Amino acid sequence: MTTTQSPTTAADKGVHPTDRPARRRRREGAAWVFLSPWVLGACVLTLLPMAVSLYLSFTDYDLFNAPNWVGLRNYTQMFTEDPRYWRSVVATLTYVVIAVPLQLALALLVALALKNMRRGRGFYRSAFYAPSLLGASMSIALVWRAIFNDGGTVDNLLGAGGWVNRPGWALLAVALLTVWQFGAPMVIFLAGLQQIPGELYEAAEVDGAGAWRRFLSITVPMLSPVIFFNLVLQTIQAFQVFTPAFAISAGKGGPADSTLFYTLYLYDRGFVASHMGYASAMAWVLLLAIGAVTAILFRTSRSWVFYASEGDR
Amino acid sequence: MPGNRTRKSCATAVVLALCAALAGCSGTDEASGVSGQAVLRYTWWGNPDRAARTQAAVELFEKQNPGIDVQTSFAGYEAYKQKLATQAAGGDAPDVMQLDYRMIDQYASGGVLLDLAGQRSALDTGEFEPGLLATGKVDGKQYAVPQGRGTETMVYDTEKWQAAGVEPPRVGWTWSEWADAMRKVTARTGVPGGTDPGQSEDAFEIWLRGQGRSLYTGDRQLGFDADDLTRWWTFTDKLRREGVVSSAEQTTQIDGTVENTPLGRGKAASDVNWDAPASGYLALVPTGISLAPMPAGEDGTPGQYFKPSMFMGVAADSGHPEESARLIDFMLNDREAAKILGATRGIPVNESIREDIAADLKDFDKTIYDYQATVEGKLNPPPQAPPSGDSALQTTFQRDYDQVSYERMSPREAAENYITEAKAELRS
Repeated sequence: MTTTQSPTTAADKGVHPTDRPARRRRREGAAWVFLSPWVLGACVLTLLPMAVSLYLSFTDYDLFNAPNWVGLRNYTQMFTEDPRYWRSVVATLTYVVIAVPLQLALALLVALALKNMRRGRGFYRSAFYAPSLLGASMSIALVWRAIFNDGGTVDNLLGAGGWVNRPGWALLAVALLTVWQFGAPMVIFLAGLQQIPGELYEAAEVDGAGAWRRFLSITVPMLSPVIFFNLVLQTIQAFQVFTPAFAISAGKGGPADSTLFYTLYLYDRGFVASHMGYASAMAWVLLLAIGAVTAILFRTSRSWVFYASEGDR
Repeated sequence: MPGNRTRKSCATAVVLALCAALAGCSGTDEASGVSGQAVLRYTWWGNPDRAARTQAAVELFEKQNPGIDVQTSFAGYEAYKQKLATQAAGGDAPDVMQLDYRMIDQYASGGVLLDLAGQRSALDTGEFEPGLLATGKVDGKQYAVPQGRGTETMVYDTEKWQAAGVEPPRVGWTWSEWADAMRKVTARTGVPGGTDPGQSEDAFEIWLRGQGRSLYTGDRQLGFDADDLTRWWTFTDKLRREGVVSSAEQTTQIDGTVENTPLGRGKAASDVNWDAPASGYLALVPTGISLAPMPAGEDGTPGQYFKPSMFMGVAADSGHPEESARLIDFMLNDREAAKILGATRGIPVNESIREDIAADLKDFDKTIYDYQATVEGKLNPPPQAPPSGDSALQTTFQRDYDQVSYERMSPREAAENYITEAKAELRS
């Protein structure tokens, strides 16, 4: 990636050697005019709310009264006095560890199956992608709840009782809903697979490598940048899981706090208990935690992600 | 100097002219009706039965007031509570809103509600019980008007209880008699006798009051300690382990709608609820339901009480305060509206209407009226309105009991957890 990016300002200078400062300023002005909708949006809808939220995280804002500065109280309360906060951290981490690998494995599996398909690939690709479009919606989560509730389809077929009413099973039901939405990583995997040169496989086959060997020695290393990309993206998304748990547990994160994901508890503190200051503090801790996890993933990527451009050097 | 003065007076004249023009515009608009209809947003929580009757009453109001268009929307209690809080915080509160006892303190002190004293010409409260009317006051200002009078009840599946040969409960029965009834009904019908009341802060309050205690003290602190709550949860947890009240899997589905209660789902033979929403069970329990008084303390001290079932309030920043007050007046004081609404929000608070419609009440409204008559004069006065933190604590109570019913914590551990959380909630 980095090699394709050239320093554009230098190139501009090269093309327009006669540019005078005034003219350049005018062109920059035009650029700002065209950029302004985005810049305005970013400032008003993202940066400003973030700044306000950072401020509120040090206050006791309750939606109705003016905020009072309380210093670090929200943060200390979170870490030392709130057992439910820690239950939400555990639930979220458990979910990430279960849902992300399952989802990526399934996405890769389906992408591999579709790669060599000659006819109907477009159809299957759309069919497998559809759940990702639908899945984030509230209605699908409600259908999911009906399926896994007691007296629901799964209960009738397998007789396992209502999954969503058992603390050990509810989280799995939510994770399955995410795994089912493997469409987006699948499409990216498929694109990645098509980039791998066919000669590599041919050569390996001539050398007598079996299908499993070819997968491990060619597909996985050649695909590792794409795997890494999907892993980072899906992990970040999984940390923010909200809708399915909200719908399935009727907003409570039950049974017995088993699906009380971080964002759900954040919502509960903010909008149910009206502790916006506390909720803001939780949001900032989440941001830092996701940042840290992403940094760790990048650190480990050095030892397993293989970039073709590095090989060229 | 003279020039300066002329310029100033010129400016003044222009400003005045502009003001006059603007005032004139708005004046003519109002008078000629060019500005169109006043659109009121009216939101409330409840069940489909209440929805149908509310809609019918609102249509009658619109017919009588052609200039006013009322847009209603409703949700289950939990969802409603969250949505309203968000709207109110965003400065987008509906013009007319249904409020709970637990919301008034928070919303009034947060400046969301209009002082209704300014709308006396549109809203008449002359025929309300003064004591009941006072429950809508905060710091001496009438921020909300009680809409009905309700009390808690044990709703039971009449046929199942008869089949089990269990005597109908009488006023003054005790919690141990209630537990015995649960055991008998379960043994003879094969269905748990009732919903596990351990998850309900309301049921706990009645049990607590039966022992002469209360949820909150006068200075907005907890009126009980971990020992009290441990005893209550030990009592209900034992019944759950015996299988005579609903299982944890059933109890956890309770979300404030009658549809998701064990009784509503056919998984228990009784439930503890307020009397007004109990009409919702009729559609779910085809064999018929009856209302019984709540159990009393072992020495006969009643824990149950009459409370304003719900309130109506107007948003402080509503563009149509007068029309909003008129809608409230219609819902509470109009005889035709009272007939349509019946007892769906509790028995009416307007005393002459209450007497008036008693004879006309039909079906379940009559059941509620008769039920309230059985306990009339036998209950202790209601507690003062709970502090604002209580609204969140209701849910916390349910969640902490989840830990007990799923056997992840002992009643003692969960009770101590709750006390800690409650103290933090009430402090802030």
